Amino acid sequence: MLRYKFSVLWIVIFAALPGFSAEPDSTALPAGAMQNKARTACTTCHEASIVVQQRLNKAAWTKEVDKMVKWGATLNASDRDALIEYLSSNFPPEKAPYVAPRSARSKH
Amino acid sequence: MIEWNGLAVNSRRQFLKHASMTVAAAALPGLLRAASGEPAHENATVVKGKDRMIVRSVRFLDLEMPPEYASSWITPVPHFFVRNHMFEPASVKAREWKVSVSGEVENRLTLTLADLNKFEQHSVVNTIECAGNGRAFQSPKVPGIQWQRGAVGTARFRGPRLADILQRAGVKSSGKHVMFRGLDEVPGNVPPFIRSIPIEKATDRGTLVATHMNNASLIPHHGFPARALVPGWIGSASCKWLTEIKVLDKEFDGNFMKPGYRFPNQPVAPGAAVAPEDTHPLTALNVKSMIVTPGEGQHVKARALEIHGVAWAGEADIVKVDVSTDGGTTWSPAALGNEQSRYAWRLWSHRWQPPTSGDYVIMSRASDSQGRVQPETAAWNPSGYLYNAIDKVKIHVEI
Repeated sequence: MLRYKFSVLWIVIFAALPGFSAEPDSTALPAGAMQNKARTACTTCHEASIVVQQRLNKAAWTKEVDKMVKWGATLNASDRDALIEYLSSNFPPEKAPYVAPRSARSKH
Repeated sequence: MIEWNGLAVNSRRQFLKHASMTVAAAALPGLLRAASGEPAHENATVVKGKDRMIVRSVRFLDLEMPPEYASSWITPVPHFFVRNHMFEPASVKAREWKVSVSGEVENRLTLTLADLNKFEQHSVVNTIECAGNGRAFQSPKVPGIQWQRGAVGTARFRGPRLADILQRAGVKSSGKHVMFRGLDEVPGNVPPFIRSIPIEKATDRGTLVATHMNNASLIPHHGFPARALVPGWIGSASCKWLTEIKVLDKEFDGNFMKPGYRFPNQPVAPGAAVAPEDTHPLTALNVKSMIVTPGEGQHVKARALEIHGVAWAGEADIVKVDVSTDGGTTWSPAALGNEQSRYAWRLWSHRWQPPTSGDYVIMSRASDSQGRVQPETAAWNPSGYLYNAIDKVKIHVEI
Protein backbone atom coordinates (compact mmCIF):
# COMPACT_ATOMS: atom_id res chain seq x y z
CA MET A 1 0.00 0.00 0.00
CA LEU A 2 2.79 2.34 0.97
CA ARG A 3 4.65 1.48 -2.27
CA TYR A 4 1.47 2.13 -4.32
CA LYS A 5 1.06 5.54 -2.70
CA PHE A 6 4.64 6.41 -3.53
CA SER A 7 4.27 5.53 -7.22
CA VAL A 8 1.11 7.64 -7.46
CA LEU A 9 3.00 10.47 -5.85
CA TRP A 10 5.82 10.13 -8.40
CA ILE A 11 3.38 10.21 -11.30
CA VAL A 12 1.82 13.39 -9.89
CA ILE A 13 5.27 14.96 -9.45
CA PHE A 14 6.44 14.01 -12.97
CA ALA A 15 3.23 15.24 -14.59
CA ALA A 16 3.68 18.62 -12.94
CA LEU A 17 7.19 19.06 -14.32
CA PRO A 18 7.71 20.85 -17.63
CA GLY A 19 9.93 18.13 -19.06
CA PHE A 20 7.07 15.60 -18.82
CA SER A 21 4.51 17.75 -20.54
CA ALA A 22 3.30 16.94 -24.07
CA GLU A 23 3.50 20.65 -24.92
CA PRO A 24 6.21 21.47 -27.49
CA ASP A 25 9.25 23.24 -26.07
CA SER A 26 8.60 26.94 -26.69
CA THR A 27 12.33 27.73 -26.59
CA ALA A 28 13.09 25.39 -29.54
CA LEU A 29 12.61 25.72 -33.29
CA PRO A 30 9.20 24.24 -34.19
CA ALA A 31 8.68 21.13 -36.30
CA GLY A 32 8.36 21.63 -40.02
CA ALA A 33 10.05 20.88 -43.30
CA MET A 34 12.61 23.63 -42.64
CA GLN A 35 13.34 22.78 -39.00
CA ASN A 36 16.69 21.12 -39.70
CA LYS A 37 17.79 23.75 -42.18
CA ALA A 38 16.82 26.48 -39.69
CA ARG A 39 18.93 24.71 -37.06
CA THR A 40 21.95 24.69 -39.36
CA ALA A 41 21.45 28.28 -40.49
CA CYS A 42 20.62 29.84 -37.11
CA THR A 43 21.73 27.76 -34.16
CA THR A 44 25.29 27.10 -35.31
CA CYS A 45 26.08 30.59 -34.02
CA HIS A 46 23.32 31.33 -31.49
CA GLU A 47 20.59 29.48 -29.68
CA ALA A 48 17.01 29.07 -30.88
CA SER A 49 15.50 31.37 -28.25
CA ILE A 50 16.92 34.38 -30.10
CA VAL A 51 14.80 33.31 -33.08
CA VAL A 52 11.63 32.21 -31.30
CA GLN A 53 11.28 35.41 -29.22
CA GLN A 54 10.88 37.49 -32.42
CA ARG A 55 7.44 38.51 -33.75
CA LEU A 56 7.98 39.84 -37.26
CA ASN A 57 6.21 40.18 -40.56
CA LYS A 58 7.57 38.60 -43.73
CA ALA A 59 9.40 41.74 -44.89
CA ALA A 60 11.24 41.97 -41.55
CA TRP A 61 12.08 38.25 -41.53
CA THR A 62 13.46 38.62 -45.05
CA LYS A 63 15.81 41.36 -43.88
CA GLU A 64 16.94 39.28 -40.90
CA VAL A 65 17.63 36.16 -42.98
CA ASP A 66 19.58 38.13 -45.59
CA LYS A 67 21.61 39.89 -42.85
CA MET A 68 22.46 36.59 -41.17
CA VAL A 69 23.52 35.00 -44.48
CA LYS A 70 25.86 37.97 -44.98
CA TRP A 71 27.22 37.29 -41.48
CA GLY A 72 27.97 33.68 -42.30
CA ALA A 73 24.78 31.65 -41.74
CA THR A 74 24.96 28.40 -43.71
CA LEU A 75 21.97 28.37 -46.06
CA ASN A 76 21.63 27.24 -49.67
CA ALA A 77 20.28 30.04 -51.85
CA SER A 78 17.54 27.63 -52.97
CA ASP A 79 16.33 27.33 -49.33
CA ARG A 80 16.16 31.07 -48.62
CA ASP A 81 12.49 31.61 -49.50
CA ALA A 82 11.38 28.48 -47.64
CA LEU A 83 13.28 29.54 -44.52
CA ILE A 84 11.69 33.01 -44.63
CA GLU A 85 8.28 31.37 -45.01
CA TYR A 86 8.97 28.98 -42.08
CA LEU A 87 10.03 31.86 -39.81
CA SER A 88 7.28 34.26 -40.82
CA SER A 89 4.52 31.66 -40.51
CA ASN A 90 5.76 30.40 -37.11
CA PHE A 91 6.69 33.78 -35.60
CA PRO A 92 4.32 36.45 -36.98
CA PRO A 93 3.58 39.73 -35.14
CA GLU A 94 0.14 38.50 -33.98
CA LYS A 95 1.50 35.40 -32.20
CA ALA A 96 1.29 35.58 -28.37
CA PRO A 97 4.52 36.93 -26.82
CA TYR A 98 7.35 34.56 -25.98
CA VAL A 99 7.64 33.90 -22.24
CA ALA A 100 11.28 33.84 -21.18
CA PRO A 101 12.43 31.38 -18.48
CA ARG A 102 14.28 32.43 -15.33
CA SER A 103 17.83 31.30 -14.58
CA ALA A 104 18.60 29.21 -11.50
CA ARG A 105 18.88 30.67 -8.06
CA SER A 106 22.42 31.28 -6.86
CA LYS A 107 23.79 32.22 -3.49
CA HIS A 108 25.29 35.65 -3.17
CA MET B 1 20.69 18.87 -10.07
CA ILE B 2 21.54 17.01 -13.25
CA GLU B 3 24.72 18.40 -14.72
CA TRP B 4 23.65 18.96 -18.31
CA ASN B 5 20.76 21.17 -17.24
CA GLY B 6 23.23 23.34 -15.46
CA LEU B 7 25.58 24.07 -18.32
CA ALA B 8 26.15 27.73 -18.77
CA VAL B 9 27.34 27.86 -22.35
CA ASN B 10 28.24 31.36 -23.33
CA SER B 11 31.78 31.19 -24.60
CA ARG B 12 32.78 29.49 -27.82
CA ARG B 13 35.15 27.07 -26.09
CA GLN B 14 32.49 26.00 -23.62
CA PHE B 15 30.02 25.56 -26.45
CA LEU B 16 32.32 23.33 -28.48
CA LYS B 17 33.32 21.34 -25.42
CA HIS B 18 29.74 20.70 -24.39
CA ALA B 19 28.03 20.51 -27.78
CA SER B 20 27.94 16.71 -27.81
CA MET B 21 26.66 16.57 -24.25
CA THR B 22 23.96 19.09 -25.05
CA VAL B 23 22.76 16.97 -27.96
CA ALA B 24 22.69 13.89 -25.72
CA ALA B 25 20.71 15.77 -23.09
CA ALA B 26 18.19 16.98 -25.66
CA ALA B 27 17.54 13.37 -26.66
CA LEU B 28 16.75 12.29 -23.10
CA PRO B 29 13.09 12.07 -22.20
CA GLY B 30 11.72 14.64 -19.81
CA LEU B 31 10.95 11.85 -17.36
CA LEU B 32 14.63 11.20 -16.81
CA ARG B 33 15.34 14.89 -16.50
CA ALA B 34 12.65 15.07 -13.85
CA ALA B 35 14.03 12.11 -11.94
CA SER B 36 16.48 14.29 -10.04
CA GLY B 37 13.51 15.07 -7.81
CA GLU B 38 14.25 18.81 -7.86
CA PRO B 39 11.31 21.16 -8.05
CA ALA B 40 10.62 22.20 -11.66
CA HIS B 41 12.12 25.68 -11.44
CA GLU B 42 15.41 24.25 -10.20
CA ASN B 43 15.88 22.68 -13.63
CA ALA B 44 16.62 26.20 -14.77
CA THR B 45 19.84 27.15 -16.51
CA VAL B 46 22.67 27.95 -14.11
CA VAL B 47 24.54 31.13 -15.00
CA LYS B 48 27.60 31.60 -12.85
CA GLY B 49 27.29 34.64 -10.61
CA LYS B 50 23.71 35.37 -11.64
CA ASP B 51 20.54 34.83 -9.65
CA ARG B 52 17.01 34.17 -11.01
CA MET B 53 17.39 36.45 -14.01
CA ILE B 54 15.05 36.53 -17.02
CA VAL B 55 16.88 34.52 -19.70
CA ARG B 56 16.49 36.16 -23.08
CA SER B 57 19.35 34.02 -24.44
CA VAL B 58 22.18 31.89 -23.06
CA ARG B 59 24.27 31.66 -26.21
CA PHE B 60 24.93 34.61 -26.48
CA LEU B 61 24.26 35.57 -22.90
CA ASP B 62 21.47 38.11 -22.54
CA LEU B 63 19.93 38.34 -19.08
CA GLU B 64 17.26 40.77 -17.97
CA MET B 65 16.76 41.94 -14.40
CA PRO B 66 13.28 41.13 -13.06
CA PRO B 67 11.86 44.58 -12.14
CA GLU B 68 11.37 43.63 -8.48
CA TYR B 69 15.18 43.53 -8.12
CA ALA B 70 15.39 47.32 -8.67
CA SER B 71 14.54 47.90 -5.03
CA SER B 72 17.95 49.24 -4.03
CA TRP B 73 19.96 52.20 -5.29
CA ILE B 74 22.92 49.94 -6.12
CA THR B 75 22.00 46.79 -8.04
CA PRO B 76 23.85 43.71 -6.74
CA VAL B 77 26.02 42.10 -9.45
CA PRO B 78 24.01 38.82 -9.39
CA HIS B 79 20.96 40.88 -10.41
CA PHE B 80 22.67 43.16 -12.94
CA PHE B 81 21.50 42.67 -16.54
CA VAL B 82 23.91 41.22 -19.12
CA ARG B 83 23.93 42.15 -22.78
CA ASN B 84 26.40 40.26 -24.96
CA HIS B 85 26.42 40.60 -28.73
CA MET B 86 28.69 37.59 -29.20
CA PHE B 87 30.63 34.93 -27.31
CA GLU B 88 32.38 36.05 -24.16
CA PRO B 89 36.15 35.61 -24.49
CA ALA B 90 36.83 32.04 -23.33
CA SER B 91 39.65 32.85 -20.98
CA VAL B 92 41.19 36.15 -20.13
CA LYS B 93 44.08 35.88 -17.71
CA ALA B 94 44.60 38.96 -15.58
CA ARG B 95 48.40 38.60 -15.75
CA GLU B 96 48.55 38.33 -19.53
CA TRP B 97 45.87 40.87 -20.39
CA LYS B 98 46.92 44.20 -21.92
CA VAL B 99 45.17 47.15 -23.48
CA SER B 100 46.85 49.19 -26.21
CA VAL B 101 46.46 52.92 -26.71
CA SER B 102 47.26 54.01 -30.25
CA GLY B 103 46.15 56.11 -33.22
CA GLU B 104 46.36 59.91 -33.08
CA VAL B 105 48.68 59.97 -30.04
CA GLU B 106 52.27 61.09 -29.40
CA ASN B 107 53.21 57.91 -27.52
CA ARG B 108 51.66 54.50 -28.04
CA LEU B 109 51.00 52.71 -24.75
CA THR B 110 50.51 49.11 -23.74
CA LEU B 111 48.99 48.89 -20.27
CA THR B 112 48.66 45.87 -18.02
CA LEU B 113 46.11 45.52 -15.24
CA ALA B 114 48.87 46.46 -12.78
CA ASP B 115 49.52 49.61 -14.83
CA LEU B 116 45.83 50.56 -14.69
CA ASN B 117 45.84 50.10 -10.92
CA LYS B 118 48.72 52.61 -10.61
CA PHE B 119 46.67 55.44 -12.13
CA GLU B 120 44.63 57.58 -9.74
CA GLN B 121 41.45 55.62 -9.05
CA HIS B 122 37.98 57.13 -9.40
CA SER B 123 34.49 55.84 -8.62
CA VAL B 124 31.37 56.60 -10.62
CA VAL B 125 27.89 55.37 -9.73
CA ASN B 126 26.25 54.87 -13.10
CA THR B 127 22.91 53.64 -14.32
CA ILE B 128 23.61 51.54 -17.41
CA GLU B 129 20.70 50.83 -19.70
CA CYS B 130 20.78 48.82 -22.90
CA ALA B 131 19.62 50.98 -25.82
CA GLY B 132 17.14 48.20 -26.64
CA ASN B 133 15.50 48.08 -23.20
CA GLY B 134 11.71 48.06 -23.75
CA ARG B 135 12.02 46.94 -27.38
CA ALA B 136 9.32 44.31 -26.75
CA PHE B 137 6.75 47.12 -26.25
CA GLN B 138 7.35 48.77 -29.63
CA SER B 139 4.46 48.59 -32.05
CA PRO B 140 4.84 47.45 -34.77
CA LYS B 141 7.31 44.88 -33.44
CA VAL B 142 10.99 45.21 -34.36
CA PRO B 143 13.78 42.62 -34.47
CA GLY B 144 16.32 42.22 -31.69
CA ILE B 145 16.48 40.87 -28.16
CA GLN B 146 12.95 41.36 -26.83
CA TRP B 147 13.86 43.21 -23.64
CA GLN B 148 10.94 44.34 -21.52
CA ARG B 149 11.72 46.58 -18.50
CA GLY B 150 14.88 45.24 -16.88
CA ALA B 151 17.85 45.79 -19.23
CA VAL B 152 18.97 48.46 -16.77
CA GLY B 153 20.87 48.59 -13.49
CA THR B 154 23.00 50.83 -11.32
CA ALA B 155 26.47 50.02 -10.03
CA ARG B 156 29.51 51.73 -8.57
CA PHE B 157 32.34 51.41 -11.09
CA ARG B 158 35.98 52.11 -10.29
CA GLY B 159 39.15 52.52 -12.28
CA PRO B 160 41.37 55.17 -13.86
CA ARG B 161 39.92 58.04 -15.84
CA LEU B 162 40.24 57.51 -19.57
CA ALA B 163 41.33 61.18 -19.67
CA ASP B 164 44.41 60.38 -17.53
CA ILE B 165 45.37 57.47 -19.80
CA LEU B 166 44.91 59.62 -22.91
CA GLN B 167 46.94 62.41 -21.32
CA ARG B 168 49.85 60.01 -20.79
CA ALA B 169 49.62 58.98 -24.45
CA GLY B 170 49.33 62.61 -25.56
CA VAL B 171 46.40 63.11 -27.92
CA LYS B 172 47.33 64.94 -31.13
CA SER B 173 45.16 67.84 -32.29
CA SER B 174 43.90 65.53 -35.04
CA GLY B 175 42.32 63.21 -32.43
CA LYS B 176 38.55 63.70 -32.48
CA HIS B 177 37.07 60.33 -31.49
CA VAL B 178 38.14 57.43 -29.29
CA MET B 179 37.49 53.89 -30.42
CA PHE B 180 37.12 50.86 -28.15
CA ARG B 181 37.56 47.25 -29.24
CA GLY B 182 36.32 44.37 -27.11
CA LEU B 183 37.64 40.81 -27.01
CA ASP B 184 34.17 39.43 -27.83
CA GLU B 185 34.64 36.24 -29.89
CA VAL B 186 32.97 36.64 -33.23
CA PRO B 187 30.91 33.88 -34.88
CA GLY B 188 30.80 33.57 -38.67
CA ASN B 189 31.55 36.81 -40.52
CA VAL B 190 30.04 39.03 -37.83
CA PRO B 191 32.09 42.24 -37.57
CA PRO B 192 34.15 42.71 -34.38
CA PHE B 193 32.67 44.69 -31.50
CA ILE B 194 34.13 48.15 -32.05
CA ARG B 195 32.47 51.48 -31.28
CA SER B 196 33.71 55.04 -30.78
CA ILE B 197 32.82 58.07 -28.68
CA PRO B 198 33.70 61.73 -29.32
CA ILE B 199 36.91 63.04 -27.69
CA GLU B 200 34.88 65.42 -25.47
CA LYS B 201 33.09 62.50 -23.82
CA ALA B 202 36.26 60.38 -23.74
CA THR B 203 38.11 63.07 -21.77
CA ASP B 204 35.16 63.89 -19.48
CA ARG B 205 36.06 63.30 -15.82
CA GLY B 206 33.27 60.69 -15.51
CA THR B 207 34.56 58.38 -18.26
CA LEU B 208 36.61 55.49 -16.85
CA VAL B 209 38.46 52.37 -17.81
CA ALA B 210 36.69 50.41 -15.09
CA THR B 211 38.21 47.38 -13.41
CA HIS B 212 35.79 47.17 -10.49
CA MET B 213 32.02 46.99 -10.06
CA ASN B 214 30.44 47.34 -6.61
CA ASN B 215 33.87 47.17 -4.93
CA ALA B 216 34.89 43.84 -6.48
CA SER B 217 36.78 42.96 -9.66
CA LEU B 218 34.54 42.82 -12.71
CA ILE B 219 33.16 39.34 -13.27
CA PRO B 220 33.61 37.85 -16.78
CA HIS B 221 30.00 38.61 -17.81
CA HIS B 222 30.63 42.31 -17.14
CA GLY B 223 33.92 42.58 -19.00
CA PHE B 224 36.76 41.29 -16.81
CA PRO B 225 39.41 42.54 -16.45
CA ALA B 226 38.55 46.03 -17.76
CA ARG B 227 35.79 47.80 -19.63
CA ALA B 228 35.05 51.28 -20.80
CA LEU B 229 32.56 53.10 -18.59
CA VAL B 230 30.86 55.90 -20.49
CA PRO B 231 28.39 57.20 -17.90
CA GLY B 232 24.91 58.33 -18.88
CA TRP B 233 25.23 56.81 -22.34
CA ILE B 234 23.66 53.71 -23.85
CA GLY B 235 25.18 50.49 -22.53
CA SER B 236 26.98 49.57 -25.75
CA ALA B 237 29.21 52.66 -25.40
CA SER B 238 30.78 50.95 -22.36
CA CYS B 239 32.73 48.32 -24.29
CA LYS B 240 33.51 45.18 -22.26
CA TRP B 241 36.71 43.05 -22.31
CA LEU B 242 38.58 46.11 -23.53
CA THR B 243 41.69 45.28 -25.57
CA GLU B 244 42.27 48.37 -27.71
CA ILE B 245 41.80 52.11 -27.29
CA LYS B 246 42.51 54.02 -30.47
CA VAL B 247 42.28 57.76 -31.05
CA LEU B 248 40.78 58.50 -34.46
CA ASP B 249 40.46 61.62 -36.57
CA LYS B 250 36.83 60.75 -37.33
CA GLU B 251 33.96 58.72 -35.97
CA PHE B 252 34.33 54.96 -36.37
CA ASP B 253 31.87 53.67 -38.98
CA GLY B 254 31.84 49.89 -38.52
CA ASN B 255 28.70 47.80 -38.01
CA PHE B 256 28.07 48.67 -34.36
CA MET B 257 28.15 52.41 -35.20
CA LYS B 258 26.54 52.19 -38.64
CA PRO B 259 23.93 50.84 -39.25
CA GLY B 260 23.84 49.66 -35.60
CA TYR B 261 22.87 51.87 -32.65
CA ARG B 262 21.49 54.78 -34.66
CA PHE B 263 18.32 56.80 -34.18
CA PRO B 264 16.20 58.67 -36.76
CA ASN B 265 16.93 62.43 -37.00
CA GLN B 266 13.20 63.19 -37.27
CA PRO B 267 10.16 61.43 -35.78
CA VAL B 268 9.03 58.61 -38.05
CA ALA B 269 5.63 57.02 -38.55
CA PRO B 270 5.46 53.62 -36.78
CA GLY B 271 6.59 50.94 -39.21
CA ALA B 272 8.13 53.37 -41.72
CA ALA B 273 11.54 52.74 -43.28
CA VAL B 274 14.30 55.22 -42.40
CA ALA B 275 17.13 56.11 -44.79
CA PRO B 276 20.58 55.53 -43.21
CA GLU B 277 21.60 59.16 -43.93
CA ASP B 278 18.62 60.35 -41.83
CA THR B 279 20.02 58.78 -38.65
CA HIS B 280 22.64 59.62 -36.02
CA PRO B 281 24.56 57.50 -33.50
CA LEU B 282 22.90 57.04 -30.12
CA THR B 283 24.67 58.75 -27.22
CA ALA B 284 23.04 59.64 -23.89
CA LEU B 285 20.00 57.90 -22.45
CA ASN B 286 16.68 59.68 -22.26
CA VAL B 287 14.30 60.33 -19.35
CA LYS B 288 12.58 57.26 -17.94
CA SER B 289 11.01 55.75 -14.82
CA MET B 290 10.01 52.27 -13.77
CA ILE B 291 7.52 51.07 -11.18
CA VAL B 292 9.19 48.40 -9.02
CA THR B 293 6.41 47.62 -6.51
CA PRO B 294 3.63 46.69 -6.75
CA GLY B 295 4.45 44.34 -9.61
CA GLU B 296 2.45 43.79 -12.77
CA GLY B 297 -0.68 41.74 -12.11
CA GLN B 298 -0.17 41.76 -8.34
CA HIS B 299 -3.11 41.32 -5.96
CA VAL B 300 -2.66 43.54 -2.93
CA LYS B 301 -4.65 43.41 0.27
CA ALA B 302 -4.08 46.72 2.05
CA ARG B 303 -5.80 49.95 3.04
CA ALA B 304 -2.70 51.89 2.07
CA LEU B 305 0.26 50.90 -0.03
CA GLU B 306 3.66 52.26 -0.85
CA ILE B 307 4.42 52.52 -4.58
CA HIS B 308 8.17 52.33 -5.22
CA GLY B 309 10.25 52.85 -8.31
CA VAL B 310 13.38 54.20 -9.97
CA ALA B 311 13.92 57.05 -12.46
CA TRP B 312 16.93 58.02 -14.56
CA ALA B 313 17.83 60.49 -17.29
CA GLY B 314 21.30 59.69 -18.69
CA GLU B 315 23.43 62.84 -18.38
CA ALA B 316 20.53 64.92 -16.99
CA ASP B 317 19.09 64.99 -13.46
CA ILE B 318 15.69 63.70 -12.47
CA VAL B 319 13.73 66.66 -11.10
CA LYS B 320 10.31 65.08 -10.61
CA VAL B 321 8.43 61.80 -10.76
CA ASP B 322 4.63 61.92 -10.90
CA VAL B 323 2.43 58.96 -10.09
CA SER B 324 -1.11 58.31 -11.25
CA THR B 325 -3.36 55.69 -9.69
CA ASP B 326 -6.37 56.38 -11.93
CA GLY B 327 -4.94 55.46 -15.32
CA GLY B 328 -3.44 58.90 -16.02
CA THR B 329 -6.32 61.28 -15.20
CA THR B 330 -4.71 62.81 -12.12
CA TRP B 331 -1.04 62.87 -11.05
CA SER B 332 0.72 63.34 -7.70
CA PRO B 333 4.43 63.97 -7.12
CA ALA B 334 6.39 61.07 -5.64
CA ALA B 335 9.03 61.57 -2.94
CA LEU B 336 12.55 61.24 -4.39
CA GLY B 337 15.12 59.16 -2.49
CA ASN B 338 18.12 60.77 -0.83
CA GLU B 339 20.78 58.74 -2.63
CA GLN B 340 21.96 60.50 -5.72
CA SER B 341 24.93 60.77 -8.03
CA ARG B 342 25.22 62.55 -11.34
CA TYR B 343 24.72 59.52 -13.57
CA ALA B 344 22.68 57.32 -11.24
CA TRP B 345 18.98 56.67 -10.99
CA ARG B 346 16.87 58.07 -8.14
CA LEU B 347 14.66 55.86 -6.06
CA TRP B 348 11.16 57.26 -5.54
CA SER B 349 8.11 56.33 -3.49
CA HIS B 350 4.49 57.36 -3.18
CA ARG B 351 2.05 56.40 -0.45
CA TRP B 352 -1.45 55.74 -1.72
CA GLN B 353 -4.78 54.92 -0.09
CA PRO B 354 -7.03 53.17 -2.62
CA PRO B 355 -10.59 54.56 -2.32
CA THR B 356 -12.25 51.19 -2.91
CA SER B 357 -11.39 47.61 -3.76
CA GLY B 358 -10.92 47.02 -7.46
CA ASP B 359 -8.60 47.00 -10.46
CA TYR B 360 -6.17 49.90 -10.88
CA VAL B 361 -3.59 51.06 -13.40
CA ILE B 362 -0.59 52.63 -11.64
CA MET B 363 1.54 54.92 -13.80
CA SER B 364 4.83 56.78 -13.33
CA ARG B 365 6.16 59.73 -15.34
CA ALA B 366 9.64 61.23 -14.85
CA SER B 367 10.79 64.77 -15.73
CA ASP B 368 14.43 65.86 -16.00
CA SER B 369 16.65 68.94 -15.75
CA GLN B 370 16.70 69.31 -19.56
CA GLY B 371 12.91 69.78 -19.56
CA ARG B 372 12.25 66.34 -20.96
CA VAL B 373 9.16 64.45 -19.76
CA GLN B 374 8.38 60.78 -20.30
CA PRO B 375 5.88 60.59 -23.17
CA GLU B 376 2.67 58.58 -23.28
CA THR B 377 3.95 56.80 -26.39
CA ALA B 378 7.65 56.26 -27.08
CA ALA B 379 9.14 57.41 -30.39
CA TRP B 380 8.98 54.37 -32.67
CA ASN B 381 12.16 53.57 -34.60
CA PRO B 382 13.20 50.58 -36.74
CA SER B 383 15.48 49.02 -34.10
CA GLY B 384 13.32 49.84 -31.09
CA TYR B 385 15.90 51.93 -29.22
CA LEU B 386 15.37 54.24 -26.22
CA TYR B 387 11.84 53.09 -25.39
CA ASN B 388 10.69 55.39 -22.60
CA ALA B 389 6.90 55.54 -22.52
CA ILE B 390 5.22 56.30 -19.16
CA ASP B 391 5.47 53.10 -17.11
CA LYS B 392 2.30 51.21 -16.15
CA VAL B 393 1.36 48.29 -13.95
CA LYS B 394 -2.10 46.80 -13.57
CA ILE B 395 -2.96 45.63 -10.07
CA HIS B 396 -5.93 44.46 -8.06
CA VAL B 397 -6.50 45.93 -4.61
CA GLU B 398 -8.67 44.69 -1.78
CA ILE B 399 -9.03 47.08 1.09
